[in-house]
Amino acid sequence: MRKPTLSAWLLLAPMHLLLAAVIAVPSLWVLWLSLNESSYGTGLSFVGLDNYAKIFADPYFWRAAWNTFIVVNVVVYLEMALALGLALLFAGGLRYPRIMFAIVLVPYAISEVVSVLAWKILMDPGVGAISRTLETMGLGSFNWSVAPWQGLALVSLIAIWHNLPFTFLLLYAGLLAIPRTLYEAAEVDGATAWQRLVKITLPLLVPTLLLAVIFRLVFAFRLFSEVWLLTKGGPARLTEVLAVYLYQGAFRYGDFGKAGAAGWIMVVGALLIASIYLWQMQRRMARQA
Amino acid sequence: MVRSRSLPLAALRAAAYALVVVWSLLPVAFIVASSFKRQTDIFVFPPRLLFTPTIENYLTLWQRYDGFFATMGNSLIVAVGATVLAGTVSFFAGFAYSRYSSRFLAGSAIYMIGIRLLPPIVVTLPLFPAIDYLRLSDTHAVLILLYATFWVSLYTMIVKTFIDEVPQELDEAALMDGATQWQLLWRVILPLCLQGMTAGAIFVFIYSWNEFLFALIFTTQHAKTAPLLISEMMGAIDGAEWGVLFAGVTLQLLPVVALVMLAQKHIIAGLTSGAVKG
Repeated sequence: MRKPTLSAWLLLAPMHLLLAAVIAVPSLWVLWLSLNESSYGTGLSFVGLDNYAKIFADPYFWRAAWNTFIVVNVVVYLEMALALGLALLFAGGLRYPRIMFAIVLVPYAISEVVSVLAWKILMDPGVGAISRTLETMGLGSFNWSVAPWQGLALVSLIAIWHNLPFTFLLLYAGLLAIPRTLYEAAEVDGATAWQRLVKITLPLLVPTLLLAVIFRLVFAFRLFSEVWLLTKGGPARLTEVLAVYLYQGAFRYGDFGKAGAAGWIMVVGALLIASIYLWQMQRRMARQA
Repeated sequence: MVRSRSLPLAALRAAAYALVVVWSLLPVAFIVASSFKRQTDIFVFPPRLLFTPTIENYLTLWQRYDGFFATMGNSLIVAVGATVLAGTVSFFAGFAYSRYSSRFLAGSAIYMIGIRLLPPIVVTLPLFPAIDYLRLSDTHAVLILLYATFWVSLYTMIVKTFIDEVPQELDEAALMDGATQWQLLWRVILPLCLQGMTAGAIFVFIYSWNEFLFALIFTTQHAKTAPLLISEMMGAIDGAEWGVLFAGVTLQLLPVVALVMLAQKHIIAGLTSGAVKG
């Protein structure tokens, strides 16, 4: 490995220029925005921490923060459980692997807009095939556009449906990386299938699980489209999540200061969640260098 | 791992597979099937698996909603543009990260991965007035820039792991034979990391083809993409037009579903090439 030369920096420049112009500088600029008051077509006027005081006094902000917390946790941990089950099922031997993989990957190819459309109609209280089937089975009637918790439950369902392929692939790759000789040795020693799962598979899968959890927490945290397209945050702003709160603040109410404060809170939150992962990565790189 | 020996276990596994198939395919199958149904058949309950198919919805879409095909064109332009841009810059950066090393370089790699984890909606706040000022609102260029940027980090890591596999002696041999740096990259390295380039390209293309948030905020008319138009049709539709909407959605989703099915090898390789693991 060589020390970077001028040509190395030139090769890196376009990529880092994009990152700086589109993500790094704007993200820092949000901090500045959050310390100012501004709207469409007005200049910035410095107000210090006023915007933070305003959103911390705003019940809609706390509602959005709470909804985000609940939905993110439900989505990520339910998805982990499903993905783990699926990965174990697939790792246990598969009759038509290519076709089964193709089928499992399908949701990854679908736009959020399309998946919301499909689930919205399938779960429609009046005409939805699934909601009416559940109703006929006597499982009660659904009206997710009226009951906020049902709206958020449907949002979670769609988010899980969408992201399960990604999580599944991560865990499946982790399963395949476990040396087979361990299982052979365990079998010789007479371990049962359950013992092999609990004593070999799960402990060795912990690093992969941790990675998958962090990744999914980070990406679930930005949840926007599912909520926006399904409920627009309603009824009465009760199903908003942080990204929707920010969007409403900026693009509907034109209060860029308040939206900026919400935005900076999201930046700090995302970095906090990601910090464990980044810290581990840094340690590994330090070891390699 | 667990080999199914007993009959109940085998039955359980079969049931689990059936559940997986229904879960993954039901929403898509519902849309595709409904696009071939007459309006009166779409919401019949219980749903009929057997029905007389019709292409009427597609004809109506073609005759009365030519705006839809314009947005499909925009989606294609934006997705191809973002893929080419991200591929080019990631190829160069991936090579640099594979062949050079220093503390500062390692730090910049962590920054590259970390910055990508920030929520995209945050950057729209400052970018919205900036893009307006630059007169880039509602252009293909702004979506291409945004989509490419949010994927260059992962793309670079994918390409790097693939270039790592190419022995460095090959570089030196090529340079000894009088190749320029440029020729080394295009003639030697690129052909040897095509699998990684393809894997990254598929991720960027699928994301750009399907993305909603940036399209919602930065396009209105000229550069409007298909997902945005579909979302507007969802809200504005009256009872008679569901079939037409489903026909449009089917056309939007089939190319990428086919891509994912055909390119599953690349997707799995891309995800497991250590890219996600950093």
